[in-house]
Amino acid sequence: MENILELQQVSKTFSKSGFSLDHVTFSLPYGSILGFVGENGAGKTTTIGCILNTVIKDSGTVKLFGREMLDADTDMREKIGVVYDGDNFPPYWTAKQLSKIMDGFYTRWDHSLFQKYLEDFHLPPGQKIKHYSRGMTMKLAIAAALSHHPQLLILDEATSGLDPIMRDEMLDVFLEFVQEEEHSILLSSHITSDLEKIADYITFIHNGKLIMTASKNDLVYHYAVMRCRESQFRTLDPGDILAYRKRDFQIDVLVRNGKEAERKYKDVVVDHVSVDEIMLLLVKGERV
Amino acid sequence: MKGLLKNNFYAVCTNAKVFAAFMLLLGIFVVAVISQSAQIAYVMTGIIGFSVNAIAVVKNEFASKWGKYKLTLPVKRTDIIKSMFLNQLIWLFIGTFFAGIGMSLSWLLHGCSFDQPIDALTMLALGISISLFLGAIFFPLFYLGGEERSEVFMIISLLSAIGIDLVIINILNDILEPGPTTPLLGAITLLASSLLIFTLSYPLTVAIFKQKDY
Repeated sequence: MENILELQQVSKTFSKSGFSLDHVTFSLPYGSILGFVGENGAGKTTTIGCILNTVIKDSGTVKLFGREMLDADTDMREKIGVVYDGDNFPPYWTAKQLSKIMDGFYTRWDHSLFQKYLEDFHLPPGQKIKHYSRGMTMKLAIAAALSHHPQLLILDEATSGLDPIMRDEMLDVFLEFVQEEEHSILLSSHITSDLEKIADYITFIHNGKLIMTASKNDLVYHYAVMRCRESQFRTLDPGDILAYRKRDFQIDVLVRNGKEAERKYKDVVVDHVSVDEIMLLLVKGERV
Repeated sequence: MKGLLKNNFYAVCTNAKVFAAFMLLLGIFVVAVISQSAQIAYVMTGIIGFSVNAIAVVKNEFASKWGKYKLTLPVKRTDIIKSMFLNQLIWLFIGTFFAGIGMSLSWLLHGCSFDQPIDALTMLALGISISLFLGAIFFPLFYLGGEERSEVFMIISLLSAIGIDLVIINILNDILEPGPTTPLLGAITLLASSLLIFTLSYPLTVAIFKQKDY
């Protein structure tokens, strides 16, 4: 399958904070949604910065639409829509002004599509952005990101300011966007329920290191957590353990294949696992 | 570039409208009274004031994520800086226009309030020179030191610009013999030196901006 986005061994170190993005490698196929999960400060925004060239990477390659994007490659940025968490646009603008300004940037800026989104999202075009609620500013940013007909959407915590109803509406918009085979979305979020709803693949990042990439179906249908006692834990094959976490009276063990684990360890309770719990086990748990 | 210029225009516009109204009122007062010092103040306020407004745009962009967002748009980093420099020149022109109109009206109504007519030109040159030095110092400092220090960089840039011009004027006073062409030479020197530094500041700012992470 061809990839719209490919990261190979991308590294970046910030000397002041000491934070490092450590050889991050993943890819996003055409026509799919990749959820990028990690706790605050895990390196999601830095990775997105490296993809978009807002952060200058130390090493590695980032390929968009099959080639590396340099500062001069403005044609490639025509095909990318971006939404950051929080205030994407100056608060003293109105949505109407935003449309006029964006028209000066994008050759394919679509006034009528933007207008349609404003109506669908109930955003008053003449009101200054500073008077919008947080949810409204996020919806405006999503509308702007979609109104130049991009192929790739990069959303950095784009749903975090929205209430569950609005989030659901936005997720529908994203799903509609990827109906086109040439369209893809990279969605960074720590609201894992959103990713469970729409993502095709989920990539986990922790402390600047990629810890796992898997298809969502694999995570939902195959991954499982075994609830073991200390004595049971000692009998487990280390090769089966992805991560484990000791709790008061039990040890939770993340395994790649729940059914296989059930067959192999008959006396151990095997539960389905949510993306949230997988993240917790990968981040807070230990490895063998 | 069209988008960047539109962006800069909208960013300056709100403050510039207020400032233009203030300049209009001040202009009426300056034209009404016969005062050389009021005219000097009007010229300096107009030219430098509009330039300060233009420069403040950069700071405002980082109050939201727009400064970072712009890097994801189909524009080059070089063009972002170019638009900032162009924006300052545009508002410098507008400020000079205001100052020129005020001075011309006063001249028409009351005659020249300066010792020699050429002194009026020197005054305009001084205002333009301070504004150009201001931009030339501020932009690289801003991108080097970060948006959180923009106010202090603005003050440093303005004071440095005034200081540089005073030094140039002092040097010119020492080396040039008093004569009819001396003020003109002085004006040309102020304009040329500030324009040179402003031009040199552009590639320096681009080089700094290209290394910045957002």
